[in-house]
Amino acid sequence: MIAQAGTTKLLTDISIGQEEIVARFTNDLIGGKLMAMGLLPGTKVRVIRKAPFGGSWYIKAGNFYLALRKGEAASIVLK
Amino acid sequence: MEEAATIREKRLYTVALLGNPNCGKSSIFNQLTGLRQKVGNFPGVTVDKKIGKLKLTDETEVKIIDFPGTYSFYPTSVDERIVVQTLSNPQSPDYPDAVVYIADVTKLEKHLLLFSQVNDLNIPLILGLNMADIAQQEGLEVDIKLLEKKLEVPIVMMSGRTGEGIDGLKEQIDLIFQEPAKTENRTPFYKLDASESAVAAVANQYYPEANLYQSLLVAHHHEWLSPLLDEQQAAISKAAENEQFVSLKSQVRETMDRYEQFIPIAQKAIKKSGKSENTLSERLDSILTHNIFGPLIFWALMLMVFQAIFSWASLPMDLIDGFFGWLGESVRSVLPGGWFTDLITDGIIAGLGGILIFIPQIAILFFLIALLEEVGYMDRAAYMFDRLMQRFGLNGRSIVALISSGACAIPAIMSTRTIGNWKERLITILVTPFISCSARIPVYAVLIGFVVPSKSVAGGLLNLQGLAFMGLYLLGILAALVAAWIFKLILKTQETSLLMLELPEYRSPVMRNVLLEVWEKVSTFVKEAGRIILGISIILWLLASYGPSAAMQQAEQTAIELAESQQLSEQETEDLVAAHKIEASFAGHLGKAIEPVIRPLGYDWKIGIALITSFAAREVFVGTMATIYSIGSSDDEFSIKSRMAQERHPDTGKPVYTLATSLSLLIFYVFAMQCMSTLAVVYRETKSWKWPLIQFLFMSGLAYLGALFTYQLLS
Repeated sequence: MIAQAGTTKLLTDISIGQEEIVARFTNDLIGGKLMAMGLLPGTKVRVIRKAPFGGSWYIKAGNFYLALRKGEAASIVLK
Repeated sequence: MEEAATIREKRLYTVALLGNPNCGKSSIFNQLTGLRQKVGNFPGVTVDKKIGKLKLTDETEVKIIDFPGTYSFYPTSVDERIVVQTLSNPQSPDYPDAVVYIADVTKLEKHLLLFSQVNDLNIPLILGLNMADIAQQEGLEVDIKLLEKKLEVPIVMMSGRTGEGIDGLKEQIDLIFQEPAKTENRTPFYKLDASESAVAAVANQYYPEANLYQSLLVAHHHEWLSPLLDEQQAAISKAAENEQFVSLKSQVRETMDRYEQFIPIAQKAIKKSGKSENTLSERLDSILTHNIFGPLIFWALMLMVFQAIFSWASLPMDLIDGFFGWLGESVRSVLPGGWFTDLITDGIIAGLGGILIFIPQIAILFFLIALLEEVGYMDRAAYMFDRLMQRFGLNGRSIVALISSGACAIPAIMSTRTIGNWKERLITILVTPFISCSARIPVYAVLIGFVVPSKSVAGGLLNLQGLAFMGLYLLGILAALVAAWIFKLILKTQETSLLMLELPEYRSPVMRNVLLEVWEKVSTFVKEAGRIILGISIILWLLASYGPSAAMQQAEQTAIELAESQQLSEQETEDLVAAHKIEASFAGHLGKAIEPVIRPLGYDWKIGIALITSFAAREVFVGTMATIYSIGSSDDEFSIKSRMAQERHPDTGKPVYTLATSLSLLIFYVFAMQCMSTLAVVYRETKSWKWPLIQFLFMSGLAYLGALFTYQLLS
C-alpha cells in the first residue's frame, strides 16, 4: 500500500486506453466520495478521454463511467 | 418490538424509496404511483419531496416518498443531506415505516453500500433489483435465494422500464405491513469501534429514539443536522475531540468495512455468462463527447431545441390566445356591462391567458430537456463544459440550470440543488435569470417586429429578425457569464468544489418518465408563477381603471368632447376615452412619477407603466401596452405594433418608438430582473433576502445603464 516517494503512479500519469488498478487515495475527502460511488482500492481503472484545456477526465472504473476533474483524478494512486 | 405492535394501527403507512443516483428509482416510483403523485417540501428545507399514493388492497393505501438519489449516508449536496436528516431521526415527520431500496442489479456491488447502511437503521426493508431486463440482455444470473439468505431481506427482481416485478414489489410491501417482525432485528453490517460508540452515545442523548448507527450518523453530521441545538452540537464536537473521533477517517473505515462484507456475497450471487461488455455507450461517447465534435453537437442540439420551441409552440399558442380572446368576448356579451364584467374579462381572463399562453413553450422545452436527461446526455454536457464553467465560478452541473432557464428561471434555479459546492450553486442561482426566458419572448417579438425588418439574408438561409432574436439570447448568456465571473472574484469559500460525476450508460428513454416530468414542471409553473401573474393583472387592472374620481370624470368628458369635434366612430371614441382615462388613473400617476428617471432611456410615462407592471412579471408588458394604447382586449402583436408606430410625443410631435427607444427597451428587458416569482424562489433556495435583493439590484442596475448607454448613443 505504501508507495515510495517519486515512484508513486497517479491516475493522471497514465495514457488513454491503459488499464491499471487503484491502490489508494491521497485525500480522504475525495477518496471517501469515490469509494461511495464504487471506486475502491483494487478497482480496475482506464482513462477513456481527457477534455482539452485541462478539462475533466472521462474514466471507466470497474463497470461504470465517471467524470473527474484533474485534481480529483490526481488523488488516485495506482498500483 | 413495541414499534412492531403499533405499526398496523397507523392509518397511512409511509414507505421510503431509496437508492443511488441512476438506479432507476424514479421509474419505479412512476410505475407504482403514476399520476397519483405530487411534489411537496421537506420541513425547513426546499428540497423537493415527491410523494405518491399506492393502493395495495381495498383497505390499505400507503404513502410513498421518493427520496433524492444518494451514494451513501455521507452526503455532498443539499439534495442528499435530506436523506440522512430524515432517516437518522426516528421522530422526523417523514420517517418511514418501511424502506424499498432500489439497486441496479448490473452494478450490484456498488449499489449495496447504501443498502448496507439502510440495513443498519433496522427499518423493515425490501431490496428491489432493478434493470432485470438489461441484466438478462447482459447474461447475468442472479441467485436470489442466496442473496435473500445473506442479506436477510425479501428481494424482488424488477424493471422500471418494462414494469416487470412491480406487482411482486407491491405484494412484498403489503406483506411487510402484515408481519413486520419478519424483517426486523437484522444483523447490522457495521460494528462501531470504541471512539465511535462513545461519541454516538453522546449524540444519542439528543435523539433518544435513534439506534446505535443512527446515533453514529448524528455524531458524523452534527454540524449541520437540524433540529440539533447549538449547545448540543458543541457537546458532540467536544466529545469527538476527547475521543479522537475524526469523521473522515471513520467514514472511510466504515465504507471499507462494509465493502469487505458484501462484495463476496454479491460476487457469489451474481454469475455472468459469456462476455457481454456493453461498449455501446463508449462508442457513442467517442463522438458525442469528442473534444471537437462533442461541443459542436451540443450547440447544434441546443439550436434544434430552441427551433422546436418556436416552431412547434406557435400553433398551440395561437389557439390558446384565440380561445381566451373568444372567452373574453363571450363573457362580455353575456354579462351586463360594468366594473364586474371588466374585472372578469380584462383582469382575470386576460391574466389567465397571459399565464397559459406560455405552457406550450415550457412544456416543449421541458420535454426536450427531460428527454436529454433521461437518455443520459445531460451528464455528458456537464462533463464537457465543467472546465469552462469553472472559469466562471460555476460547475459543470450548472449547464443544466442555464439551459432550463431558457424556458423559465424558476425550475432552473430549483435544479441547482445537485451542485454540492455552495459558492458554485449560489453563483448559478444568481446569474441564471440573465438567460432569456420564455416570458421575454413576447416582448422581444413585439419590439423586434417593430424595429427590425423581416428580411432574408445570407441567400435566404437566415432571417434578420431571427438573427436579432439570437443576438438578444447571446447577450443574455454573455451577461450571465460576466456576472458569474465577477461573483467568483467577490465571493469567498473554503468548501471544496467537486465534479465527480457518474456518467450512466445511454439508455433509450422511458416516455412515461419524461411525460410525468413535463407534467410536474408545467403544473409547478402554473401554480407558482400563475398565482402571481394573475394577482398582478388584477392589481394592474384596478390601477389602470381607477383614479381620483374628479380627474377620471374630467378625462372622460374631455375625450368625449374631442371625439365629437373630430366626428369619431363609436369604437374610436371608446378607445380615446380609455386612453384619456388611463392617463388620469393611478397607473398613469405612477408612470408620470417615474418619468424623470426613465426619460434618459428614451421612455415616456406610458412605457413607464409597462415597466412598473413588468417588474412583477415581464410577460405583462404586452398586455399593459394593449391596455394603455387602448387596443381593447386584443393582445394581438400586429395591432400593438401599428399603434406603436403612430405614437407621438405630445410636445415635439416626433415618434415615441424610434430605433433608439426600441433598442433601449430591448436591452432593458434582456438584463432587468423583472420577475417576482424568481425572486421568491431565490429567497426560498438561499434562505435569505440578501441574495434576491443583490440579484435584483445588480440586474436592474445593469439594465438601466445598458438602456441609458444604448439610447444616448443612438439618439
